[in-house]
Amino acid sequence: MGYVGEFEQLVLFAVVELRDEAYGSAIREMIEARTGRVVSSGAINTTLGRLAERKLVTSRIGEPTAGRAGRPRKYYAITAAGARAVQESYSTIQKMAGGGLLGRVTRMARGKG
Amino acid sequence: MIGRRRPRALGWLAILFVRGPEAPFVRADLDDSHDRDLARGLPAWRAHGRYVVNTLVSSSSLLVERLRPSGLRPSWIDVRLGLRMLVKYPVLTGVALFTLAIGIPVGVAPAHFADALEAPLPIHEARQVRLIRYWDLEARRRGPTTISDFLSWRDTLTSFESLGAVRAAAYNVDTGSGQVASVSGAELTASTFGVLGAQPQVGRFFIQDDERAGAAAIVVIGHGLWRARLDGDPAVVGRTIRLDGIAHTVVGVMPAGFAFPASQQLWLPLRDRPMPNPRDERQVSIFGRLASNATPERAEAEVRVAQLARAGGGEVAARFVPEVLPTSFLLMGGLPKGGFRSLPEFRFIQILTLVPLFVACANVGLLIFARTATRSSEFAVRTALGASRARILTQVFTESLVLSVAAASVSLLLGGVITASGLVTRFMGGMGIELPDWVDFGLTGTTVLRALGLAVLSAVIAGVAPIFRVTGRSINQSIQRARAGRSGTRFGGLTSALLVADVAIAVAIVGFAVALADKARATIDNGQAVGIEASRYLAAELRLPGGAAAPSATAQQAVVDRLEAEPGVRGVTVANVLPRMDHDIQFVELDGEELPPGSPGHGVRTAQVDTGFFDALGKPVLMGRPFNAADLSEGASTVIVNTTFVERLLGGANPIGRRVRYVSRGLESRSSWYEIVGVVGPLGMHVLTPEQDEGIYHPAAPGSINPVWLAVDVGPDPEQFAPRLRTIVRDAAPNAVVTRTMSLDQAYEGDSYLVAALALGAVLMMGVLLMLAASGIYAIMSFSVAERTREIGIRVALGANRGRIAWHVARRALIQLAAGALLGMPIAALAFFELQEGAGRDPSVILATLLALVPGVGIMILVGVVACAAPTLRALRVTPVEALKVEG
Repeated sequence: MGYVGEFEQLVLFAVVELRDEAYGSAIREMIEARTGRVVSSGAINTTLGRLAERKLVTSRIGEPTAGRAGRPRKYYAITAAGARAVQESYSTIQKMAGGGLLGRVTRMARGKG
Repeated sequence: MIGRRRPRALGWLAILFVRGPEAPFVRADLDDSHDRDLARGLPAWRAHGRYVVNTLVSSSSLLVERLRPSGLRPSWIDVRLGLRMLVKYPVLTGVALFTLAIGIPVGVAPAHFADALEAPLPIHEARQVRLIRYWDLEARRRGPTTISDFLSWRDTLTSFESLGAVRAAAYNVDTGSGQVASVSGAELTASTFGVLGAQPQVGRFFIQDDERAGAAAIVVIGHGLWRARLDGDPAVVGRTIRLDGIAHTVVGVMPAGFAFPASQQLWLPLRDRPMPNPRDERQVSIFGRLASNATPERAEAEVRVAQLARAGGGEVAARFVPEVLPTSFLLMGGLPKGGFRSLPEFRFIQILTLVPLFVACANVGLLIFARTATRSSEFAVRTALGASRARILTQVFTESLVLSVAAASVSLLLGGVITASGLVTRFMGGMGIELPDWVDFGLTGTTVLRALGLAVLSAVIAGVAPIFRVTGRSINQSIQRARAGRSGTRFGGLTSALLVADVAIAVAIVGFAVALADKARATIDNGQAVGIEASRYLAAELRLPGGAAAPSATAQQAVVDRLEAEPGVRGVTVANVLPRMDHDIQFVELDGEELPPGSPGHGVRTAQVDTGFFDALGKPVLMGRPFNAADLSEGASTVIVNTTFVERLLGGANPIGRRVRYVSRGLESRSSWYEIVGVVGPLGMHVLTPEQDEGIYHPAAPGSINPVWLAVDVGPDPEQFAPRLRTIVRDAAPNAVVTRTMSLDQAYEGDSYLVAALALGAVLMMGVLLMLAASGIYAIMSFSVAERTREIGIRVALGANRGRIAWHVARRALIQLAAGALLGMPIAALAFFELQEGAGRDPSVILATLLALVPGVGIMILVGVVACAAPTLRALRVTPVEALKVEG
């Protein structure tokens, strides 16, 4: 089980949140809405591809929809390994940032110290 | 679905940029996002903009993913496999090595030579020493610096610790051995050695008092001269040597390897003084050592401010801008500040030299393509066993890299041997370019790195594109085709385009090479037809005592008199340049003509000749009169022009009595008028292009030119007379030196060497490119025909006519050959017409152009036919049963 990077964590969290509606543009929109970061569809898809290669997510092709010129969507779901990976990575950061460290970093970022 | 439609262009953009297996899902997501943006109420233009950005960024993400570094990590196994491939396919290895080993060094050559020529001088802390010069912004050339500039800058500039000034010259040196030789030297300020941080090995250097007018005549000599001409005499200080006949006392000897500013071996104090009219001052080069806290930029700013203050602003100050430059500009003073690399010619040559490499890469790519195709089943099996596409790419790229690095190594080795042998310096010497000893063309770390960089680039071009095609198929398909015993590779549009380009380039190169060879031949023919019997004359360059400022008329006259009295000598003449040699180009205007502002005037070639010049060369004046003694008197201003001048500048009108004067660029200064008194026929003023050799001859009195060229009419085999001529000169004028002799028919313009070198280079390149193109075409064509063995067998089994099958197979190849030839022919023809310089309307040139294309097209067709013939015949011999077995 390997560590997942920050962007991969964002994608995995979005997949969990969206449940059965976790496909590229929905994930992208959720990340943009919650973080304010602008990400590209290509970046989302390639990240999902990498996560699928590492068996952290699974994918299935949905039914073709009329609104997409007949093109199907690819839906993603997190695997148990994926859930462990995101949990471990996130808790690693939390452990590291504990003990008042986050507060100090916040103050430094605001220029207070 | 949202009410508003998405512009079609956006869809096309996505189709164009978003590629790869995930593309359909990404494109669908792009559309989704666009719809949502509109649904959120974003203005259409903003939603479209976001779509475009999303598409482009997505495309780069997908591309990066395809080339993910984790999969592209080469290993030693890949390198070993690459080496094994070199051995396994020896023919391909040989061809590829040969072609890349030529392409890579040719590609790095321009930058290598520029580096060698721009290297700092071999002096103590050379980077701290800088040249100060003017740059003429209008004429885009170096402006003159003189002793006045030196004195002004020396007294005002604080960015320089010390300044020096130098002017190169040549002296006829007599060390007392009775043998006089011309030695290059320089006049320089006493401060120079301090600026350079050099110490004499023996004796002393100059002090400021030595610069005083009327001070004792002294000289500092170089180590080489000391050893060669003074036998390394330890008591040399105080000895007297004669320079141009004047006794000078040796006061010091410089250590071995010291030669400043270029290859000089003796130095005299510079005794220039400011003149009332600065135009009368002679030019010097000024240089200085930067103060410890100064940077070149700060120094340049200071010199510019000082120059503005001195000139008081105005046009001159705005036109002549001071620049502070590295010491290499002492040697290459005419270059703009950016050096060689800032010249458009350099960039053109750089591109030109990279063409063979890219052609080589494309062809090596074709060969690798063919080799990779035969290994398709191997890749299919590896893919099936779990190797990723990136893994296979890495392996094949490493193989290709091993090949190109091996080629780069071979070429660097050869380059090292060639530069160490001094071949380059000798070639440049042949072109009349004398380089200082410290210019080293040997291999440098930078050149090695550049060559390796080009090797990697070659590997990318030659290796990656074919591999993308071969591996771009599904595993099942590959395995199925592998089972059927076929590589499964189809040579599609890319390969066809490469083949067509190959043939086009080969045909164009053949045309260009033939045109250049024709030009070289025409140059030689022109040289024979300059209107004189050049093979009867011995040409000898004579350096008179007295230097350039006051050459000795007595010495010149004594030599001419003695030669004329010599039995067997039919005539002697003196000029600053002889027919067939490089003549100076100057710009003139005619009386009664209004040149438009900004016009440079008419470019004409000029020569200074003695009064008997035309008679001695057997070329009588056609109209008007020859020069006579009166033309040499003070205030006389007569010239003789050639027939080309009359035709091209006067439209054939009678020139006698017309006047002509010299104009400098931009017409800002004009000389006095010269009256045309005579006309002569063509006399080899511009052998390369005799149709454009309009020229003017000036009468020259003895003692007005130094060095002079003597043309001595001695009949057949003139070079046999050379030793006698040297004896005569030694007896008649002991302080004059014959620097070189040659039969006049061996004299060539410097550009002739360039044309000959270009012709040789083009012929060599033609050979290489033809071989490259031929090998590429052979590989692809024979491979693609071999691929169709089964198909041909089945056709034969079904009763198809063998002739029709052969035609069917050859048709595609012939179409490719024809397309290439059609593309290449206009380029070849253009090169040919261009090189004929205006002679293009002549039907014989058009015929010659067509003939020039025959070899190129012919060779390509031959290669194509041979490439197709063997596999086609083999295929036709296949029995239907065998063909069907393959199917099984």
